[in-house]
Amino acid sequence: MIELKNLTKRFGDLTAVNNVSLTVPKGEFFCVLGPNAAGKTTTIKMITGLIKPTEGSVNIAGFDVQSEPLQVRQRMSYVPDFPFLYEKLTPWEFMRFIGQLFNLSEERVQSASRELIPRFNLEPFLRKPIEGLSHGTRQRVAIAAALMHEPEVFVIDEPMVGLDPFHARVVKEILKERSVAGMTVFMSTHQLSVAEQVADRIGIINHGRFVAIGTADELRHWSGNDSLLEDSFLAITREEANITAERMPAPATTP
Amino acid sequence: MSDSQNTPPPLGDGRALRLLLRVNGLQAWRKLTSVGEKSKLLTLVIATFLGGYGLVTYLLFYKGLDFLRGFPGIGDLLMERMLFLLFAVLFLLLLFSNLIIGYTSLFRNKESQFLLSAPVSSDTLFRWKFIESTLVASWAFVFLIAPMLIAYGNVRGVDASFYLLTTTLVAGFIILPSVFGSWCAVTLARYMDRRAFQIAAIFGFVIFVFGIRLWMQPEQLNDEAIEFRVLAVLDRVMSKTEFSQFPALPSYWLSSSVQNWADGLRVSARFYMYVLCANVMFFGMLAWTRTGRYFYEASSSVHSRAHVFGQWEWFRNWQAHRAAFSYPKGFMERVFQLLPWIRPDVRALVIKDVRMFWRDTTQWGQTLVLFGLLAVYILNLRHFTRQLSNPFWQHIISYLNLFACSLNLATLTTRFVFPQFSLEGKRVWIVGMSPLGLVKVVKTKFAMSTIGSLIVTLGLIFLSCHFLKLDWQRTAYFVGAIAIMTVTMNALAIGLGVLFPNFKEDNPGKIVSGFGGTFCLVLSFLYIVSSVGMLAIGTPWVRRENITADPVSVTISIGGFILLSMLLGWLPFRLALRKTRDFEY
Repeated sequence: MIELKNLTKRFGDLTAVNNVSLTVPKGEFFCVLGPNAAGKTTTIKMITGLIKPTEGSVNIAGFDVQSEPLQVRQRMSYVPDFPFLYEKLTPWEFMRFIGQLFNLSEERVQSASRELIPRFNLEPFLRKPIEGLSHGTRQRVAIAAALMHEPEVFVIDEPMVGLDPFHARVVKEILKERSVAGMTVFMSTHQLSVAEQVADRIGIINHGRFVAIGTADELRHWSGNDSLLEDSFLAITREEANITAERMPAPATTP
Repeated sequence: MSDSQNTPPPLGDGRALRLLLRVNGLQAWRKLTSVGEKSKLLTLVIATFLGGYGLVTYLLFYKGLDFLRGFPGIGDLLMERMLFLLFAVLFLLLLFSNLIIGYTSLFRNKESQFLLSAPVSSDTLFRWKFIESTLVASWAFVFLIAPMLIAYGNVRGVDASFYLLTTTLVAGFIILPSVFGSWCAVTLARYMDRRAFQIAAIFGFVIFVFGIRLWMQPEQLNDEAIEFRVLAVLDRVMSKTEFSQFPALPSYWLSSSVQNWADGLRVSARFYMYVLCANVMFFGMLAWTRTGRYFYEASSSVHSRAHVFGQWEWFRNWQAHRAAFSYPKGFMERVFQLLPWIRPDVRALVIKDVRMFWRDTTQWGQTLVLFGLLAVYILNLRHFTRQLSNPFWQHIISYLNLFACSLNLATLTTRFVFPQFSLEGKRVWIVGMSPLGLVKVVKTKFAMSTIGSLIVTLGLIFLSCHFLKLDWQRTAYFVGAIAIMTVTMNALAIGLGVLFPNFKEDNPGKIVSGFGGTFCLVLSFLYIVSSVGMLAIGTPWVRRENITADPVSVTISIGGFILLSMLLGWLPFRLALRKTRDFEY
């Protein structure tokens, strides 16, 4: 469903993403972890088509991101860490706009809204301008709107920023349900507990390469640490060269 | 759920564009109506100001054009040249404005990034942004030229068809700079790094100024030429502005059509209208159908770019050297250490504000343009030595210079000083809860902006007096007047900035456009008009030989000026200090 082939991105001398190949199959919940400036956002930007890869290609739902961008965007949703919303619209107007932008019928807009709005507890805010909403509420509006067209691939960057524990739980539950129903989720986060709870597989990226990919248990095992994922993450990213050579198998591109 | 059969086809380009127009139109309408809902007074102030501006501009243009037309034999020629020159310069300004706005709108705008990941083609996205930047870049142009064209029509005594024609022509005319501007923006974004662009822009600007300086260099004329060879002198003046009648300039087609229609030469007017329309349609179609395909490439390049100098080893070495951080004191800190009597916490605040101002290119860039233009004008006064030996002109120009300098100052204080307090934003607690305290913060900002403004305004007024060859008493008088006005307008701006803060906004331009900023601009403008008016009417110096200065009117005028200054500066500043004492974070 998401297929990265020898993906490389260079900014002058700096190689932000270095020859990454990865396949995330349909219905998988994939979490990317990594230190700051590891290449997570650059990878996401190439997946969503915001920037062109220097080398390699990205395939989404069978379509190449560069040569068939509209087919890809029609099947994908992207929610950045600070999503853009039209400030003077109300959440209801914004959701209708997104529905129309994705060419949904009125019936689908209605049914999707009636399902998503109550789940995200957005009813009290539907008639208020977005400019007056808190960051967490805006984030919920953005995620709900992004789910309206039932995307095949959902890419989300730091979804829990600004969300209270209750709504963080709601987001995790909905994304997990959708993933079980067939939606592929590609999530970037710094919250290891979130990754541990929801991800089918976790990829740890550092210096532009996936240095480890596997389930949470596999990562713990490879790092020689059986307790916290945090310890495994730190062990793997601290000096990955020391670990990779001896104890860890080469990252698998598919499960 | 989530399979291809459930996925509708992407929206067509036309429907997507209509949807974007509708949603952005709704946004714009709500922004407009929210101003009225927030404050009736603000709406009234803005409406009065706009109406007043339109009326005053119309009257000025009408008087000016009528005056020009009154020159025996050459009135029509002068008016024609002025029309061509005005539109040629406005065309260049529009081009520049479209380039900047187009670039920002296409590549630095969050909506563009959002739409790039939505099922909207790059062509549609470009088309929407093209429409948006055309409207944003051109509304001021339309607002500026509308009173001028009405005045021109009235001076020429035209019928209603003239206004219909000019409306059509102007609507077409604004599209051409937008097409070229957006094309330049896409091309620059595709091939030039930001730093390289800045360097190229500075070089381009220097070359442009140098070229203009060479081209428009004043010529010394002898008495014989001025007295007896008027046409020859006029011819030399006209030759300097002949570029505005270059037939390939779009402004030439517009001006020719307007002028010919007013002259009753309808066939010729229609010809130039068709030329303009043909070009608008051709280049407009190119932009509409072709430029969008390069937009995605350019956008990707903008967000993928390394430093342009990174290809050179010396730069990489320098960067590596910088990376080895040695925990140094900054340059500004070393400079301010030379002023040991300033308290360390005050010094820290000043250094922070100076650094933030300096690192925001748009802030000091606009200041430079504003006062740079005034400096160029004042420096050029030295070329008018002959005319300025006349006391009447000396007198008039010295007051006009005070007026111009204080108007620039008002722009500076409203645009940069007013938002100072708001710019602390949500971080206001950092300085407010420090031992420095918010009251001291406000006083420091006032002192800093006043000292900064005084350096510029005193320098300009001193230069003006010097080139006008005013004696030391008059120089001291004008220096004193501008010093009082500088202090007053800074106090007013800081005071109103604290009384009407906007902590939600990071963009100083948007902070200024609120009620407080508009109020500050209007009050500053009224203060300048009243002050310069009072000082000029009650001048201690004679304007003409047969008029003597009346000591009573001089005292009343200067006293009134000082009283008004104290009231307008002291009152808002005092209210602001009182508010900061009870400030809730």
